[in-house]
Formats: sequence, C-alpha cells, structure tokens
Amino acid sequence: MVDVSRVQKELTECNRDREVSGVSIALHDGANISHLTGTIAGPADSPYEGGTFTIDIRLPGGYPFEPPKMQFVTKVWHPNISSQNGAICLDILKDQWSPALTLKTALLSLQALLSSPAPDDPQDAVVAQQYLRDYPTFAATARYWTEAFAKSASTGMEEKVQKLVEMGFPEELVRSTLKSVDGDENMALEKLCSV
Amino acid sequence: MPPVPSGSQPNRGGGREMASDGPPPEQGKTEEEASTTAAGSGANDLDDPHFMCCVCLELLYKPVVISCGHMSCFWCVHKTMHIIRESHCAICRQPYKHFPSICQLLHHLLLKLKPADYKRREKEVLEEEKSIKTYSPQIIEFLNSKNNEVGNNENRHEDSKTGPPQEVSLSGSIVDDNSKKIKLEDVSCPLCKEMLYQPAVLNCGHVYCVSCLSSLNDEALKCHVCGSLHPGDFPNVCLDLDHFLEEYFPAEYISRGQKVQFKKGQCNREGSSSGTSSTKGSNRTQHDEDLANIHIGVGCDSCGAYPIRGKRYKCQDCTELIGFDLCDACYNSSSKLPGRFNQQHTPDHRMELDDSQLLQRLLRIHGLPEDGQEELMMEEAVVAPGDMVQIVINNQVGEGGNDVFPGEAAIEEPVGAPGAMLHIVIDDQEIEDNGEEDQAL
Repeated sequence: MVDVSRVQKELTECNRDREVSGVSIALHDGANISHLTGTIAGPADSPYEGGTFTIDIRLPGGYPFEPPKMQFVTKVWHPNISSQNGAICLDILKDQWSPALTLKTALLSLQALLSSPAPDDPQDAVVAQQYLRDYPTFAATARYWTEAFAKSASTGMEEKVQKLVEMGFPEELVRSTLKSVDGDENMALEKLCSV
Repeated sequence: MPPVPSGSQPNRGGGREMASDGPPPEQGKTEEEASTTAAGSGANDLDDPHFMCCVCLELLYKPVVISCGHMSCFWCVHKTMHIIRESHCAICRQPYKHFPSICQLLHHLLLKLKPADYKRREKEVLEEEKSIKTYSPQIIEFLNSKNNEVGNNENRHEDSKTGPPQEVSLSGSIVDDNSKKIKLEDVSCPLCKEMLYQPAVLNCGHVYCVSCLSSLNDEALKCHVCGSLHPGDFPNVCLDLDHFLEEYFPAEYISRGQKVQFKKGQCNREGSSSGTSSTKGSNRTQHDEDLANIHIGVGCDSCGAYPIRGKRYKCQDCTELIGFDLCDACYNSSSKLPGRFNQQHTPDHRMELDDSQLLQRLLRIHGLPEDGQEELMMEEAVVAPGDMVQIVINNQVGEGGNDVFPGEAAIEEPVGAPGAMLHIVIDDQEIEDNGEEDQAL
C-alpha cells in the first residue's frame, strides 16, 4: 500500500516553495494518490532554460520503499532521456533509490540531470552520440525542442507570430495558418511560402 | 500544546483529508538551520525538524539508531531492510546487517518532549500493528525520571507483555512542567555517569558517549547495561541526539566538550588509540557473497541479524505469526534478549533447526543450478513482517512455445504474518554476465 499520509506531506512540502525550487507536484486526476504529475523548470544556463517540463509520476504499492516511476511527458532532447517515450535513465530512480528520498528530491535530481547530462550512461544512444561528437548541434537541437515542446502554447504562439510577421507575412494570415497546423512553426512557414 | 505554526497549509489532497495536526513536514535546509539556531535551549516546539523520521516524515516513534548514527522509527527501519542482502542506511547508504533494538533513551526523551504528538503516533502505529497482527516491543514507562541509571534492568522491559499490547498509559509520566522537560539524568552516559557528549547507540539500543565507548579495552564491544555484544561496526555518533543536547543543555554541553577534549589529549599523549573510526567490533564482517546460506526474510530475534545467515533455529512453541528465530551464534550464547516483535518467547520453548526459507533449498526445489544464484534479483525488496514469499523462476524467457508461463512457479508458505506479497525474481538468462547483479533492474 502506498503510504498515503507520507505522499500528502510530500505534496504540501514540495509545493510550499515551488517558486524558489522550480519544481511542483499535483495529483494527476484528483482522486488517485498514486498517479501524480510533476513539473520542473528548465535549469538556467542549459539548453532547457525557460522550458517547463511535465513528468508523469506513478507510485508503486511499495512506495516509499520502492522508487516512484517517472517519465517525461514533455519531449526532451537529452542523452539520458528517451527522445521517443520520455523514459529516464537515472540511478536514484532505480537501484540507488532510498526511502529517505522524496518526490521533490527526485524531481530536483531530474532538474540537475538536465543541467549535467551523463552521455557515458545513455538512455538515448542517438542523442548521446550527438552530444559527444557534435556538441553545438546537440545544444541547438535541445534548445529547439525546448522551444517547441516545453514552452506553454500561448507565449510560444506569440513568439512564432512575431517571428513570421518579421519575415514579412501579414499577421492575420500568420495567425490563421499557425492555427491550421496546430502551432507548428515550420509547417506554417512552408504553407505560407506556398501560398 | 503549542500550535503548529507553519503546518497549516491547505490540504492539497482533493477529497482525502489526512491528519494535518502533525509536525510540519521537513523544511528546507536553510530554514532548518535557521530554526535550529533560533530555537535555543527552551525549544519544545513541534516545529522541530529534529526527531523527524526520514522515511515516514512523521515524528519518530520507537526510534532505532543504526550503527552509522542515523535513525528511523522501528517499523520504518524494519521495512527498509533488505530481505536477502545487507541493508543500507536510507540516509547515508552505509551498509548494516543487524536490526538494532529500540533506543529507549530516545523513546523516553520524545515521550517527555512531545507527549501529545508521541501519543498520537502510538495510536496510529498500534492500529497498523493490529492490522498486521504483529507488534513492536512494548516499553514500560519510567515511573520517575531517575530510572535511566545503570543498575536498573530496563533492558528487560521489552519481554514481559502478553498478547496484543494494551495501550500503555502515557499520561502518568507526563508532567505539566514546561520549564525543563528533560533532566540531565535522562540523558546520562552509563559509563561516565555524566551528560552524554557525542552519543553513540549500540545494537541493543543503549547510549554511551563515543569517547567512553572507545576507551573501553574489551576485545569485543559489549554493552555495560545489558551485557549484549555489539555486532558490526563501531557505532558513529548519533548527530540528531548530539545536536539536541547541544541546544537543550548548552552550558553543560560546552563543559562536557572541554572535559572530553582534555581527556582525549591525555590519552593521545599516552599513545592510546583515539577511536571514533576504530574498527573495534567489526571483526565479524561476513562475506556478503554467500547468498545461498541466507534465510529469506527471517531475522534473528536476539542480535537482530537480518536476514539470518547460516543456521537458523526456529521456535516450535511461539504462536505469533512472525515466529521466533535465532541465528547460530545467539542460539549457542547464554544471553537471550527478548523477541524483536513482542513475542512471548520463554527459555523453555523448543528450538529446532529450520531451513524452510533457506535460499539454497528454495533454489534446489525449483531445480535451479546453484551457480545461478548470482543472478538473483529482488523486485520489491520490501516486506512487512512475514509477508508471503513468492518465488518466480524466470529462466525461460524468450522460449516461445512454452505452455506454462514461467511466472508464479511457486508460492511459499507465509514467513510470519499476512501482508503484501514478496516477489523474488530469479533470472538465469544472463549467466554470462557474472557479477552484474543489478543489471536487469
């Protein structure tokens, strides 16, 4: 059985200083205490800066004696996170878990993982290869993915509109085109050019 | 009772109302330090980040101090321990093999310091214990504050109860004296008879100054209160208790510190060992590799070794679900401590060799080559006392035409009490990768 009272305490404690720590946790569907959603702010001075990353958290029955199962919902370009399904390669979520760790400390560890990737122990081999062989491209891709997937739709949309308008397209058309392609900047550009 | 200052945030738990009157959860590092320094000697606020169990995030209840000096509640330590391998401290990951006894000094300290909260914890834990029909040792209350002295056989208090324990009457010992709830004699060292300074807790739960312990010249570390041997490494200072003493008795703490330093200086001049880090008592280091001799999920009720390695003696007369077991060394020794789970064991009970939980035997039953044991892995390393042990032999992965799915090979008898299921996965697919035990996790 999940230790309900402990999880409650963790939620309260974690959300108390969410502004400072940059991590927060909420119940996923309001009723089930063993399914949570965590968010972490992309760390400064990393390609993930400015992004907000969502993490799906499932608590196994043995929690806190077993590690929580965490997975990125937001797409991330990172050597230790699968670019396909968001699976995370981090020891404390596996054999190095300790019941003295909490959801908050685990999320903070994920934040730290974003800051300092460990390409020698990769989850996503393609990303790790790129990180080791061509760091500038890696950083650019990671930044692009952050831009595309980890920034909230509304602010992202304004920036995209701004960008396309600067290219010389009329704002009305930019907005309607972006809307028709679900905010995908590249597709919108393609469409705009082919008009 | 002082009100909870900062713990009154709205409960974020949707419809679930949890008891929110407890001590507030752990505070951030900086906050913690700030409140520590601000608290001063009169600190008896609930908002005290000390004495919070790192596992349940509650006030410690029946605290157990591991040899690394970190502590948790009785049940939290037990649940954290690994049923096959050596266990690691949840905080510092230092390995340990024995489930120590409850530290009675800390128990009584908390009882006096936070009576209402401690009583609430007692109720909660007792409810839980009733549901698993297994109980933690009952501790008889101090009748007066002087009982902490050496001559008092407090170490035998654990054994004298019958049946499911009644709620111990705590109210008797709660005095409405808020000026100084803790007296110096509550926290004295049985050896130097002065206030504890840099306290270390032995496996039996008794507390000494670390300097007193290291000045003992005995071959093996032995408790001077209850006479039981301390297995494993020389204990580290219990810093939580040390910090508490420093805050609560600042003047005494300083003078004790000076005295100990002075003594240490003298000792050093005489060339004697200065040993907080000495290896005294660690001569019993066993080889962890010998997994086959392990009795899965069975602990020794005397020394606390968990799991038992080598011979296991099981009591034939104890009726408690969890049973009563001894390791070889304790079976052959004269000193018999009471059971770890409040069992009604008496010396006239019959003890017999038992290998029902022996890993080697379990492997043999399932026809597994014994060298396959290196591939033994644990899913759910956690077992409440006497959970069901389910052995899953998974040596056929990838064989498409199997008529029987290679899971659920057998369900073993309960070890002690009902509870969650324990799954042991034995996967000998990767026999080539010797030594990479955790690989498939």
